[in-house]
Amino acid sequence: MGLTIENEQSSDGSLIRVAGEVDLYSSPELRKAILKSIPKAQGSLAIDLNGVTYIDSSGVATLVEGLRSAREHDISFVLVDPSPAVKQVLELARLDSVFEVR
Amino acid sequence: MDRDLRLTVRSDPKLLGSIRSLVREWVQSWEIDEKTTGDVVLAIDEACTNAIRHAYEGRCDGSVELTLHAEADHLEFQVSDQGVPCPPECAERRPLRPPEVDDLQPGGLGIQLIHKVFDEVEFCPGASGGNCITMKLKRSE
Repeated sequence: MGLTIENEQSSDGSLIRVAGEVDLYSSPELRKAILKSIPKAQGSLAIDLNGVTYIDSSGVATLVEGLRSAREHDISFVLVDPSPAVKQVLELARLDSVFEVR
Repeated sequence: MDRDLRLTVRSDPKLLGSIRSLVREWVQSWEIDEKTTGDVVLAIDEACTNAIRHAYEGRCDGSVELTLHAEADHLEFQVSDQGVPCPPECAERRPLRPPEVDDLQPGGLGIQLIHKVFDEVEFCPGASGGNCITMKLKRSE
């Protein structure tokens, strides 16, 4: 199963909808999508992780990099509706408190 | 044991999905609960990812060997490569605390996840150079 990434714009900011598996092979694609969206995002960037069936440390590192970059651009970075697979890894890595989750 | 699994794969990130499927199926066959199975699949994937990223420095032409072996009281997993040896300090277990974002060093996260998932983790130099990591998971009675 691959990775799909969709970009959406709404009045309250940008949203990236991610589905599938995020691993060493696919995380560069997600990284590119997130880092490209940040300078264009209006106030906030939300990452919808509901459809993510697997994420590894390279995927988590990508999210951390996104959070850092968003702070530099003074926009909020929010994880939306993380799937059980995402929650499990964020908890395991003790990173669940680092991200704003909605 | 007749249900042991040994496979050699190229150090190509494209193959990680297939490795995960195989490991998942094998672990499930020992009636390990779903959450632990997910953690084990992640940790083995992290060990393979380290071999690809660090030992082979992203090259896809190396080989990664996986051995899945069952004992009466534990499951044992081994991932070995013939790439650049991992510096010993990278293999050490460090406490995972909720960090400040500015201090995050996500590069070492994979190894810490491996330590967190397994009951015993041992890093050794491989038989012919490279790295060998052995991970043990206790089986409940």
